[in-house]
Amino acid sequence: MNNDLPVSLLVAAFTGAVMLLLPHISPQRYFFAITVPPGFPASPAARTSLRRYYAAVLCSIAISVLALLELDRSTGPLLPVVAMLAPSILGMLAFLFERYRVAQVAPRPDPVRVVELSSDDDRLPRWIALVLPPFAFPIATAAWLRARWNEIPARFPIHWNGHDIADRFAGKTPRAVYGPLLFCGGMMLVMILLTLAMFYGSRRGRQRTAIVKMMVATIYFIATLFSVMAILPIAPFPPSMLLIPAVFFPALILIWIIRVLRDPNMPVDQTPDDCWYLGSIYVNVRDPAIFVQKRIGFGYTINMGNRLAWMLMGGFVAALLGLIFTLPR
Amino acid sequence: MPPLARIRIDLTSQVPAYRQIVDALRVLLVEGTLPPGSDLPSVRRLAMELGVHFNTVGEAYRTLAEEGWLDLRHGRSAKVIARGAPSAASPERLQEFRTQLRNLVAQMRAAGVPLARIAAELRSTMEGLNL
Repeated sequence: MNNDLPVSLLVAAFTGAVMLLLPHISPQRYFFAITVPPGFPASPAARTSLRRYYAAVLCSIAISVLALLELDRSTGPLLPVVAMLAPSILGMLAFLFERYRVAQVAPRPDPVRVVELSSDDDRLPRWIALVLPPFAFPIATAAWLRARWNEIPARFPIHWNGHDIADRFAGKTPRAVYGPLLFCGGMMLVMILLTLAMFYGSRRGRQRTAIVKMMVATIYFIATLFSVMAILPIAPFPPSMLLIPAVFFPALILIWIIRVLRDPNMPVDQTPDDCWYLGSIYVNVRDPAIFVQKRIGFGYTINMGNRLAWMLMGGFVAALLGLIFTLPR
Repeated sequence: MPPLARIRIDLTSQVPAYRQIVDALRVLLVEGTLPPGSDLPSVRRLAMELGVHFNTVGEAYRTLAEEGWLDLRHGRSAKVIARGAPSAASPERLQEFRTQLRNLVAQMRAAGVPLARIAAELRSTMEGLNL
């Protein structure tokens, strides 16, 4: 048995489990990414679809496990990777097939749009100001490091392997010391801008507020994580400890998302089914919304038919690339 | 508690979205659901909520402003204003309304709605519009 086999099996099992959950981690008004009336998921047609999908994913997991057990290193690196990804690839194909079948039998969604004529929800909630205090974390950390500049060793670790042993080092330069804090501040700014763009570029709804809250929580998490990382050169502790919040925070977010998704009263974005490609790509040149509610999973995706969305994403990617250069190497 | 001001439009209807917005808003303005001083959503916001182009909503707001219902001076937002009593409709305009009404009644009759029901609907609509 090669050393990679347990990891490959674990990845195959995990992705298979995610694929099995996929039809359930979407707002309740969508079934295989198609708008359906309330109660449709309990109908015989929907149950048949679901059974067929489960069978296909379980088969793909079985194929993946058997292939991984049969293949050894002599087959080269490609086949085991393909075998490991089989649940994702075959599962997604099964998902798209069921999506097509559901679209055939589900009643057409109501084309009528009802809008409340209120300007109340057009303003950002006051609690959005909570995004500002976390900026104090990297600033305070930078001041703390500056005060203890002499305590920072001439070379300090910036990367560790799985056994907590440092395998990459950086010299004592302002970029190496303050780089993670600069990156953190930049990330926070980008996230705030993205949150504002999402708020003003999407339709009203409880999901929009939920996402803004999630972004605020994430800004606090990033500020804390990077501030702690930045003090590693003079306050050495096992870096693997940082993995604990890095795992727990997304887990908490996931639990919260599932709770929000299970709310049957959560309103859905009335986007036309025929503007969705592969269940997750939205292209509608007639829709002025930049961000629309996702059909698979929770959150928003961009309307690729909107030029502003492309400009925004271009700016976002450019900002991220720029920020990566602030990190020590 | 005042009734919620809502408009509904059908994106698959043959009636242009602009016309549907104007008609729906005018009903709310005439019946008093949107009293003077009410703020309407910005053009951008309403267009986004309805899933129509900004120009469609902008044009609808401009039409209602020309009729004296809205004040569009505050940037892109719109405010309902007190509208003075309009002068009596000209004979030509009156004839136009009569034609529209006849068409509507004919459509209702063609769809099998009894005359008594049509009369009741007209009465109820007029009462709803505080006429």
